[in-house]
This record gives sequence, structure tokens and C-alpha cells, in this order.
Amino acid sequence: MKNIILSFLVMGNVWAQELKLSQKLEEKKYHFSALNEFFMETYNRPIINDDVNRLEQLLFFTGIELLDDYEPSLLEKYPTSSTRFILGRKAIKDNKSDKAIAYFTKIHPDHRYYPEAKLLQGQIYGALNDKREAETVEQCLRSAEKNETQTPTEKIKRYYRMVYEICLVNKARHLYRQKNYQSAIDAYDKIPKESYKWPYIILEKAWTFYQMGDYNRTLGLLVTYKAPLLDTYFFPEAEYLAALAYFKLCLFEDSSIIIDQYYTFYRPRFEALEKVLRQNVNSQNYFYNLMFGPKIELKDHEDFVHHIVTRLKKQIRFSLDFNAIHKLDQEAKRIIDNEKPEVRNKLLGHLASVRENMVNKINYNAKMDIFKFLESVPFYSSELFKLNLEIISRKKDLIYGNKKLIADRGRGDYSNVKRSRFEQFWKFHGAFWADELGDYSLGLKSNCEIIKKELPVEEEGL
Amino acid sequence: MRLALFLLCWHFVSNGLAAEKEKVIYEYKKYEKFDLGNLEVQGQLIAPGDISVRERDRKRFELDLYSRENFDDFIAKDLDSLR
Repeated sequence: MKNIILSFLVMGNVWAQELKLSQKLEEKKYHFSALNEFFMETYNRPIINDDVNRLEQLLFFTGIELLDDYEPSLLEKYPTSSTRFILGRKAIKDNKSDKAIAYFTKIHPDHRYYPEAKLLQGQIYGALNDKREAETVEQCLRSAEKNETQTPTEKIKRYYRMVYEICLVNKARHLYRQKNYQSAIDAYDKIPKESYKWPYIILEKAWTFYQMGDYNRTLGLLVTYKAPLLDTYFFPEAEYLAALAYFKLCLFEDSSIIIDQYYTFYRPRFEALEKVLRQNVNSQNYFYNLMFGPKIELKDHEDFVHHIVTRLKKQIRFSLDFNAIHKLDQEAKRIIDNEKPEVRNKLLGHLASVRENMVNKINYNAKMDIFKFLESVPFYSSELFKLNLEIISRKKDLIYGNKKLIADRGRGDYSNVKRSRFEQFWKFHGAFWADELGDYSLGLKSNCEIIKKELPVEEEGL
Repeated sequence: MRLALFLLCWHFVSNGLAAEKEKVIYEYKKYEKFDLGNLEVQGQLIAPGDISVRERDRKRFELDLYSRENFDDFIAKDLDSLR
């Protein structure tokens, strides 16, 4: 994108005479080309109200994704809510919280990015332990809900719903941090199961129940990840939490099974994923093709790698970026079909470089996501190892003390299931039903009671 | 006078040489009997309980297992996942 900016800086004076070209392009609905021309026409003269309105109008069609790499000094020239939103995001990435808040507070409450700006502002306040977090989250919730009802397009409705849900999840996370666990559970429960966020919420709810001491509910929630519908969702942290919950119930054997399974089953899969990352770390489009291109055949543990990639693909940023590429392709096609060769060559060159930039962006983000996922693996492997040592130590203590765990319990019992008066009980018969996912609880009794080991009765001499 | 001094020195030297040549034999007791019943310990007698070590529980060292304090990293991840 930097070379695009450079090109219009050089050519700015040449194009200055054709001030209306961007309008002509806009009339033909060549929005990406018009946006580029608009910057060329306006960057070296004072910006007037009309320019601000036109920029907002163009960005409505193109989206703001392609402005991510623009120089902040250039964007600061245009005092629109969209540019302030982009600049605020850049400031967050540069750890300049005050600057980011200053940009976000200048965004108009009726602007389409206002809910997301409030979401980000709330996150900053949360990180700073600022009391204004709660108020900002409420603003985010209200504005996202209002925009969702006013939008006719289904895709944009989905976007606002996503912003709303993230605001709601952040509210629950805020309550968790304050150790107000029951209120956190109430906030998590407001997120419907059809939500894209919901599979991620399971893990957070499981931690919340763990902190409340309801280990059966923790284990029940984590069982949900075993459902075929959620086979793309694998988190090393969920495996660790399950092993930890069994450990807290003193069910050491169950805990050990989870640990063994983690090492034997998942480790080779992580290695396969790492191999894919290492082999293509310098590629500019491998991960883009892996996500959006025809299915690439992989040598080892192909399903696991594709599951991880499918999960990444569901992120809203990839949809937005891919949508921008789709719109760029459509515009290029219309230019090829309708324009003369000299206009065509001039416009297509720019569109091709913007497209390439977007592909590189998707590729880079996917690569970083896989890297961050793999980065979390050694941490949880080491925690599981520590847990295993603790189990061995507890078992050793029992043997040295000539004691044993009570262990004369049934495998599970309804009386051990904690539930509210609004929850009903059905037995699990080995099949996962979509409507009951995430509502499971195990009925295991704590095995932590220690009894004296009975000495074997010696038989009298034969 | 000189003669008298010479004779005196000669006497001392000749005596010393004679003493070096003498063999010294030490002999130890081959058997000694102790009557423990008759032995008496002088001083104050104290009860054996006062000098015993009291039993205490063995110190258990527990590993610090990870427990989530917050979801700050998830919040940052959500921020990244939007755009």
C-alpha cells in the first residue's frame, strides 16, 4: 500500500487538472478506483466539508480495510469518523491508549463504526482498570443493538450482532476479573448458541464454574468440545482445565488419562501444524490459499490442520478482507468489460496492487494466528506435566501413609449435579444433540475422602 | 683446670649414649572387670520424656498449578479478530 501512496504523491500534480475524475469513476461505481483518485485530488489542498462527506460515502462501499497501511499523517488530514476510527485502532496497536481514546471519543454516535469504537474504548478502560469501562460497554451494547435493528442487510446485521456479543462477553470477563462469578455466568448465558462467539465462551464458562468449585459443570461444559459439530474447536487450555477439574475431584486416574491423551494424540498433530508453518513462513500467499483457495493436500494429520484453518476462517476480519478482495475482482471485471485500453491499464494496475496487498494481509494474519496458537501449546504442555507430577506426589503420599482414597463410589450420580430451578435433567446416552450442547454436567462425587488402608488378612499356615 | 672440664664433658656424653641403648618395655592390662551394677552416676536424674523429639507432620510442597485470573489475552484476541 505504501507504493500506492508514493505513486499518487509523485503523480499528484499531473492529475491535479482532472479534479472531477474521481466523481466520474464514482458515478460508474468504480469505488476503489475513485477512492484512489479522490486522495490524489485532495491530499495537497485544504479539506472542505464536501470532501469529508465524499470520503465517507466512498468508504461506505469500499470498507476501511484497504486504508490500514496508509500513513497516519495522511489520514489525519481528513476529519471523518471513519479515519478517526482507523487512527484509533493504530494508536491501540502502538500502545498509545490516550491517543486512541481521543480519536474514539470524536466519532459521531450515529456513525456505523461507533459501536465498535465503544467496544475498543471499553477494552482500553478495562486494561487500565478505569471505572468508565462499565459505562462504555453499556454504550457499546445499546448502539450495536440499535444499528442491528436499523440495518436491512443481513451481513451487516451479523456484524453488529458480533460487536454486541463481544461487548457482552467483555462484560462477563470484567465480572470474572472481579471474582463476581455468578454474575459472570449470567452475562455469558445471554449469548445464544447460534453465535459465532459461543464455542469460545464454553471454555470461559468452564473456568468460571471451576472458580465456583463446580467441577462437574466444568467437565460437562468441556465435554461439549467432543461433539462432532465442534470438531474444529480444539484448545490445549480446555484439555488442561479438564485434567485439573478431575484432579480437584481427586480422580487421579481420569486426570492421567487426559494428560496421556494430550501427549500421545495431540503432540504429533501440533508438530504437523508447526511443520506447515515452518515450511511456508516466507510465503506471501500460502496461508491465503489454504483458507480460501482449492483444498491443499497435506502430508501429515491433514484433518487437524484443516480444522484449525477452518476455525480461523470464521473470524470476521477474514470475511471483511476477503469480501474486499471479492469487490476488487468485480470492479476489475467491469473495467475490463467496459473501458478503453488506456483507461483500463491505468485503473487495473492500481486495483491489482490493492488486491495483492489484501492477500498479503490475510496471509500474514493467518500465519500469525497459527503461530500464536502453537505458542500456547508449550505452556499448557508444561502445566500438564506439573499436574502429572502433583498426581504422582499425591499417590506416593497415600502409599507412604498406608492410606487410600475412598473410591467406593458409583461412577456418577444425579445427586452430584448442581442445577438451577430453570434447568431440567436428562441422562446422556452417548449422542450429542445440538440444543443441549453446552448444558452438560457430570455427576461425579468427589473422591477426596481419605481412609486407612486395610491390611491384607494373613491366611494361617497351610 | 682444662683437664677437669674435659673429663666432666666426657662423663655426660658417655652417660647419654648409654641411656639411648636402654630398651623400654610397656605392658598393658590384659583383662579388666567392670561391675556395671555398682556404678553410680553422680548428678541430677531427669525423665526420658524431656529429651525426646516431638512428632510433627511432614512438610508437603505443592506445585503452583495454573489457574486463570482474567481473560485479558482473550479480549486482545477479540480485538484482533474483528479487523
